[in-house]
Amino acid sequence: MPDVPGGYFGRALVVDVTDGAAEELPLDEQTLRRYIGGVGLGTYLMHRLAPDGVDPLAPEAPLAFVFSPLVGTPLTTSAKFAVVAKSPLTERLNDALASSHFAIAGKLSGHDALVVTGAREAPSVLLVDGDGPRVDDAADLWGLPAAEAEHRLRERLGPAWRVAAIGPAGERLVRYATVSHDGRHAGRGGLGAVLGSKRIKAVAVRAATKCATAHPKRVLAAARDLRARSFGPATAKYRELGTLANLLAFNALSTLPTRNFQEATFAGAPQLAAEDLAEARSVARNSCASCSIGCEHIYATKGGGQARVEYENVFALGPLCGVADPDVVLSASARCDALGLDTISAGGTIAWAMECAERGLIDAPWLRFGDGAALLRALDEIGSRTGLGDLLGEGSRRASAVVGGEAPSFATHVKGLELPGYEPRTLQAMALGMAVNARGADHNRSGAYEADLAGGHDRMAGGAAQAAAAIVTEDRAAVMDSLILCKFLRGVFADPFPEWAALLSAVTGWDVDGNELQRTAVRIVLAKRLFNLREGWTRAEDWLPDRFLAETLELESGRSATLTPERLRSMIDAYYAGRGLDRDGLPDAEQLDALGLHVLAA
Amino acid sequence: MGTPKATLEWHGSTLLRRVTGIVARATSGPVVVVRAPGQELPAMPNGVEVTEDAREGRGPLQGLAAGLAALDGREEVAFVSSTDAPLLHPAFVRRVVAALDGEHDVALPRAGGFPHPLAAAYRTALLPDVEKLLAADRMRPAFLFETCRVRRLDEALLLDDPAVAAFDPELDSVLNLNEPEDYEAARERPAPEVAVRCYGALRSRHGAGRSPVLVRAATLAAAAAAVDLELDEHVVAALNGDQITRDPDEPLATGDSVAFVAADAGG
Repeated sequence: MPDVPGGYFGRALVVDVTDGAAEELPLDEQTLRRYIGGVGLGTYLMHRLAPDGVDPLAPEAPLAFVFSPLVGTPLTTSAKFAVVAKSPLTERLNDALASSHFAIAGKLSGHDALVVTGAREAPSVLLVDGDGPRVDDAADLWGLPAAEAEHRLRERLGPAWRVAAIGPAGERLVRYATVSHDGRHAGRGGLGAVLGSKRIKAVAVRAATKCATAHPKRVLAAARDLRARSFGPATAKYRELGTLANLLAFNALSTLPTRNFQEATFAGAPQLAAEDLAEARSVARNSCASCSIGCEHIYATKGGGQARVEYENVFALGPLCGVADPDVVLSASARCDALGLDTISAGGTIAWAMECAERGLIDAPWLRFGDGAALLRALDEIGSRTGLGDLLGEGSRRASAVVGGEAPSFATHVKGLELPGYEPRTLQAMALGMAVNARGADHNRSGAYEADLAGGHDRMAGGAAQAAAAIVTEDRAAVMDSLILCKFLRGVFADPFPEWAALLSAVTGWDVDGNELQRTAVRIVLAKRLFNLREGWTRAEDWLPDRFLAETLELESGRSATLTPERLRSMIDAYYAGRGLDRDGLPDAEQLDALGLHVLAA
Repeated sequence: MGTPKATLEWHGSTLLRRVTGIVARATSGPVVVVRAPGQELPAMPNGVEVTEDAREGRGPLQGLAAGLAALDGREEVAFVSSTDAPLLHPAFVRRVVAALDGEHDVALPRAGGFPHPLAAAYRTALLPDVEKLLAADRMRPAFLFETCRVRRLDEALLLDDPAVAAFDPELDSVLNLNEPEDYEAARERPAPEVAVRCYGALRSRHGAGRSPVLVRAATLAAAAAAVDLELDEHVVAALNGDQITRDPDEPLATGDSVAFVAADAGG
């Protein structure tokens, strides 16, 4: 093997599961330095390996598990991996992150990425370790929840194996099915359906080697420093209450999406608030591998069960569907975990269907806002693709096109991806961030809400400050998702790009600095845009649903929160200008050349 | 008074900081401060614009002309306030501005038996009329009111607004400090009563319960201190569920609801 930088193996393993044939794809140092790992490297791999215009559920469509140079180091929160493919929900580039031991074992199988192509005739699992890849039968696992499949597979193979699996929703090609590992999900965009289309129930990996860093002492010192900082006030929210702490605060700020974004406050919010639920129901707090934050809060559910609690789960299955009963919401969240469903898209699609049913656009008199039993039934039907669930399993964009009439106007998605729990009309930098992001409406690839909630600008206005915030937070996410570091750590970095560059330098030995990483961020953001462009993206996709542009929110303060098409257009123009794109959102040849992207654009 | 009114202190902030902050909260447009040529001003919120009287000592119409000129072409309506109004309430400002309909050029409150031209709303298109009066040395606002359409807002009309009735029932918004005794009397008044809530980890750490805590505080810093909270980079506040701020000098008014949340709000 040629010399490779610290933290890398310099190769990806590409397995055609149809017959188990495998090849190693060399990854040269220039490519690694340009795309780092995780989401960035995954984007590069999709450019290289996904055929133009491929159907995301076709055998030819590749799906990549991508690691990063920091995986396996003692740097806190670095045990993460990206799953990257063309999304069956959006038909655009999709990347989703998950955490823990799969990342470490997968990388130490000796690869910077594992790419799955092809399709099996029968349910199977892909195994990768030092003996190379092989495909085994998995008929006994088909139909099981992902966690159960993972458990049984490790029992069969041994505890050194780590498993990423899909649930029944992925098997049935629900377009927002997840890939999960150790209870955590690479959740957005339907990557579980991509594996399901290949009839791959799970990918199991086992460590076979080690991966040296360039400067072990520097890495260790940085890890100690970062760990100490991770115990500080910037991460207190995640430790003490978890992300569910957002819910009551967002309600107070009129930014808690309610009843399919018809309102921004929810009368039942106090019943779902972390401040009270934690006191009554918290049973454990967990961490991912290599993490010192410990954001996972586990609550007891009715009947003796347990559920992981996150803001996005509770918002999507609670206020968005008008459901205030915590037992129902926690049960619904656990049901999504078992089925392998993205809670945001599941809640968003069901909330849309509830509004359709109430307006008489679909024949489902049982489906009403606030009806917990209806919510659970809808989830079951989606997971089994029965009844109304067959339509809802397509996601709100496709389902609304089938229903027709006015239904698409209140299907709350961007590029087909349902909106997370941030009201665009009261968080207008975030509105822009969601409109222009390559993945679609998303809070992890565009964190512009941070600027809205920091008080530096009027969060209910739109202008240059909002455009700048959308660019800055998108750039930061591009680097964090490629290094990979958990975003819950973001608040501990006072000067992020130079600090991240120092970490990357210690691991790889590169003389990378903050300026280079900022260029890397731009490169990754534009590489995603180029992939989408190749797959048919047009400027019209960088937009928000009609509901947000036609309906005003009346706030308790007496103010009206309005986002006009003209304002959104103006912010998008400013975003394009700030990114060096033309008015149609296209990069020019000079920019591509300067970033080394001309090869991808060719 | 012995001290420029703009710099007088009232419950932790200067009068100018307070009045500019209250007007900014109640309006959507720019806030313009008119000063005498060369006059030094205390700190103000970011974004406040400063302009100068063309000639010093010519009374309120001169200041009105400078302010309207600064807004010319950007806004149709301006609320005009003197700086010595510590009890100016955002609800009062909103009420007066809302009263200026298409049939009128000025919305002029009348309270306590007097009109209050320095707590009134003016159409910015009045600038040429004001300049004509100044050129003719007709320096009193009453002359302007003779030449334009004035909607007079009596106390009943002002209190017809539920927010004004609830938070400014005595119409203290029009209170001016003309003599040292007026200032002393104003200082005797308690700070506004506001409701404070802490969310997330702040709630458990600072002993705040589910219900809001009623405190007396004229600024955000005072409200934070009242619940034993330090306004550092990890804390932000939302006023009445609306704008988010971390400015410790942000003025509060009676009936305000202050929500303190962790600055790293979000997923």
